[in-house]
Amino acid sequence: MRLSFDPVAFDLVQGLATWLGVMVVLSIVAFITSLLISLATSGFSGPPQVVMHLFQAFIDLIGTSPRRCWAMTQLTFREAMRKKTMAVFALFALLFLFAGWFMSDVTADADLQVKTYVSFVLRAVSWLIPMMALLLSCWGLPEDIKARSLHTVVTKPVRRHEIVIGRVMGYIGISSLVLGVVSVVGWFWISRQLPDTMQKQMTARVPHYGSLSFISSEGKEEAQGINTGDENMYRSFIEGNTKARAIWTFTNIDPGKFSAAHPFVLESSFDAFRTYKGKIDRQLLCQYTLVNPKKNIRVTLNAFEINEYRRNTYDVVEKNPSLEDNETHKAVELKDLLADGELRVEAACRSSSQFLGMAKSDLFIRMPDRSFASSYFKCILNIFLMMVMVVVLGVAAGCFLKGPVATILSLVINGVGFFAYTFVHSLVTGEVDYHNPNVKFQGAGPFGALYRIVTHTTPGIAFEDTMFFKVINKLDEASLNVLWAVSKVFPNLEAFDTTEYTANAFDVPWDAGILPCLATTVGYCIPWLLVGYFSLSLRELESK
Amino acid sequence: MAQDIVIQTRNLTKIYRDFWGRKKVKALNSLSMEVKKGEVFGLLGPNGSGKTTTLKLLLGLLFPTEGEVTILGKPATDVTKNEHIGYLPEESYLYRFLNAEETLDFYGKLFDIPANVRRDRAKKLIERVGLTKARRRQLKEYSKGMTRRIGLAQALINEPDLILLDEPTSGLDPIGSRDMKDLIVELKKEGKTVVMCSHLLADVQDVCDRIAILEGGELKVFGKVQELLKDTGVTQIKTSRLTDAAVKDVRDVLARHGAQVMEVDHPTANLEELFIKTVRDSAAHPGQRFVPSDKS
Repeated sequence: MRLSFDPVAFDLVQGLATWLGVMVVLSIVAFITSLLISLATSGFSGPPQVVMHLFQAFIDLIGTSPRRCWAMTQLTFREAMRKKTMAVFALFALLFLFAGWFMSDVTADADLQVKTYVSFVLRAVSWLIPMMALLLSCWGLPEDIKARSLHTVVTKPVRRHEIVIGRVMGYIGISSLVLGVVSVVGWFWISRQLPDTMQKQMTARVPHYGSLSFISSEGKEEAQGINTGDENMYRSFIEGNTKARAIWTFTNIDPGKFSAAHPFVLESSFDAFRTYKGKIDRQLLCQYTLVNPKKNIRVTLNAFEINEYRRNTYDVVEKNPSLEDNETHKAVELKDLLADGELRVEAACRSSSQFLGMAKSDLFIRMPDRSFASSYFKCILNIFLMMVMVVVLGVAAGCFLKGPVATILSLVINGVGFFAYTFVHSLVTGEVDYHNPNVKFQGAGPFGALYRIVTHTTPGIAFEDTMFFKVINKLDEASLNVLWAVSKVFPNLEAFDTTEYTANAFDVPWDAGILPCLATTVGYCIPWLLVGYFSLSLRELESK
Repeated sequence: MAQDIVIQTRNLTKIYRDFWGRKKVKALNSLSMEVKKGEVFGLLGPNGSGKTTTLKLLLGLLFPTEGEVTILGKPATDVTKNEHIGYLPEESYLYRFLNAEETLDFYGKLFDIPANVRRDRAKKLIERVGLTKARRRQLKEYSKGMTRRIGLAQALINEPDLILLDEPTSGLDPIGSRDMKDLIVELKKEGKTVVMCSHLLADVQDVCDRIAILEGGELKVFGKVQELLKDTGVTQIKTSRLTDAAVKDVRDVLARHGAQVMEVDHPTANLEELFIKTVRDSAAHPGQRFVPSDKS
C-alpha cells in the first residue's frame, strides 16, 4: 500500500509557458503552411483569403448561439441513445457479475484485497469508457457527412464550430452518463465484495510529504543512499547500525491539525535488503529521530520493528509517552517540535549489516484521513477528463477524416499517450528517468546517433570538441526541439491514471493528481477544437 | 444588385478535382443568371447537367472554382443568409432516428426559434404535409413519399423567403406530386421565391414562371416558360361541343381564309388527372369498385 512514484506538484506557470510556446510554434507553422498552400492553389488571391478565413473564425466565435449548440448536443445524445449505445452497460454488468469469482481470496491481507478490487474497477472503467467515447466520437460526423444529414444542418444558419461544439458536448454527455452509472455501480460492487472486517481499509490517507536526503555510512551528505543492485533506482538503502540516515525534511506543518482524535502519526513503508538471514521471526529494526532545526531540539524515539514492504504506522505520542531532548534531557512536548511548522525526521536502521530501502514517498506525516469516496470519485473525475480529451480528438479527427481513419488516428494518438508517453518523452528529451530530468542519455539526437551507427561509436564516448561535432550537436538540438513540439501532439494520458493513489488508500492530491490533468485537458482541447472548426469550415461537404 | 433580384450568379464555374488536384470534370461552366423575387424558377436539364451543382453552390455546400454567387444580397458562404432560406435536398437527408415532431423541433432550434413558436409551426406544417397520424413515428419507418413530405416541412420551418427545391416531386405518388405543385403555387401567392430543379418537365411547366435549361454544365435556354413554349405558327380554338354539321361549317370558313385544319378532336384528360379523380372518388365512395363486364 505504497506509491511507486513521487507525487510531484504541478507547476501551473511552467505548464502554461510550455503550452503557450507549443501553441505559438504550431500556429506559426500552420499559418505559413496555409499561406504557401493558398499561394500554390489560388495564386496571389490565396493569402488574403487565408486572412479572411481567420477573420471569419473570429466573427463566427462571437456569433456563437448556445441554443444551436444545445440543439446539436441534444441530437447527439438522442442519436446515441437510440442507436443502443447503452448496450455498453451490459458489458460492465458482465464484468461486475463474474469478476468476483476470480478475485475473491479471503486469505489475502485486507489492504491487498482492497487494492485488487479498487484497481480492477477503476482500470476497467478507465479502459472501457474512453474506448466507447473514442468509437462514438470518431464515427459521428463522418457518418453524418456520408449520409448527408449534415447537409440539411449546414444549410441552416449554423456555424461550423457550433456543430463541432454540439457534437463534443453530446458525446461528453452520453459518456458521462455511462461513466456516472458505472462508477456508482462499481463503488457499491467494491463495498459489497469486501467483508465487514476489511471495510475500514477503504479510506483515503492524506500524506504530508517532505524532501529526502541521505547521510552515508561514513557520515557524508548524499542525494541518494546505497544501490543494492536493483536496476530501478527509485529506492535506495541505508546500512544498519552505521552513521547512515535517511532524512526527511517537512515544512508547512500545521500543528493545529493534530489532536487526541487525530494523533501525530508517521507512516512508512520500507524495503528490506538482508545480507544474512538473521532471526527468521524478527523484522528489521528502525529508529526515528525528530529534529527541530530552528530550536535545535533532537528527540530520538523508541525503535520499532518494521513490517517489511508493508505499512508501518507510528503514533509518536503513543509509542513514546515521554519525549526528551537528546542533549539536555529536558522533557519536550510534541508541539515544541512542530512549533515552526518545520520538522526533520532522521530514519536509521538498527539491525547490523542489514539495509533499509526508502524513497521520498515512503515516509510521510499522516494528516486526518478523507473518505474513500472522495479519493474514488477524484479518480473518476480524472477518467472523465481523459474521456473529454478522447472525445475532442475524435470529433476533430472526424471533421477531416472518414470514420475508420479517424478511429485509427485517435487510437494511435491516445494509445501512445496512454501507454508510451514516458518513452516518447525520453526519446525527444534524452531523459532516462521521467522524474529525474538530470539523468540523460549520452549521444541522444538523430544526427549524432546516425554518426555513431556509421562509425560504430558507442554512446558512452563523448564527441570531440571540433567544428564537425559542434554542427552535429546543433543539428541534434534543433531536430530534438522540433520533435519535442511534435511529441506534444500526444497527450500525457499516463498522468490521468490516478488509480494507484486510490487503490493504495491515498487521497488523490489536487496539485499532483488533479490540477495537471485539468490543465492538460484544457490545453489539449483548445487546439484540437480549432483544428476541427477549420477542417469543417474549409471542407466542401459535397466534394466528389 | 436590384432589390427584386434574389439570386445572382456571374460566370459561375465549378471544376471537380481529384485528391491530387487534377481536373476530373467541369460540372458548371460560366453560368450567369438571375432569379427575381416572387417567381417560381425552374432549373432543367438531363442527369449530370449541373442543376444540383448549381443549387449546392448557391447553398455554400460547394465552393466555386471561378465566378461569384450572391443570394439574398450575401455571398453564398455567409451562413446568415440561411436564416431566410429553406432547402429540400434531392434525397431527404434527415436524421432517421428522429420522429416528425422531433425533426421539426430540431431544425427549428437551429434557427433560434423560440419553443412555443416552434411547436405551433411544427404542428401546422405536419398537418400541411399530411403527416399528422405518423408524427410520432421515427423517420426510418417512413416511405419515400412521407420522407419527402417531412423534408419539405423542415424546409419551411423558418417561414423562408427563398425556397430551394431539388427534385421536389421525386419519389412522390401522383397525389403527392400534385400536392407539392399546389404548395409551390401557394408559396408563390404568399410572395415567396421558389427555385426548383427537376428533369420532370411536366412538373416544371405546371408551376414555373421562368426556366433555365442546362446541358453539360452550360446554360442553353433561359426565359419565361410561356414565351419559350409559345408556337406562333399555330392557332388553337377551344369551344363547347360542336355538332358534326357545325364542324363542317367551321372547316369551310377556315378553308376560305386559307388555313389548313390540322386536327379537330375532343380533348382528353391526362393520366395524372384521371388518377387523382379516381383516388378522390374512391375516398368519397368507399366500397365501390370496378367490375369488368364480359366484353371488357
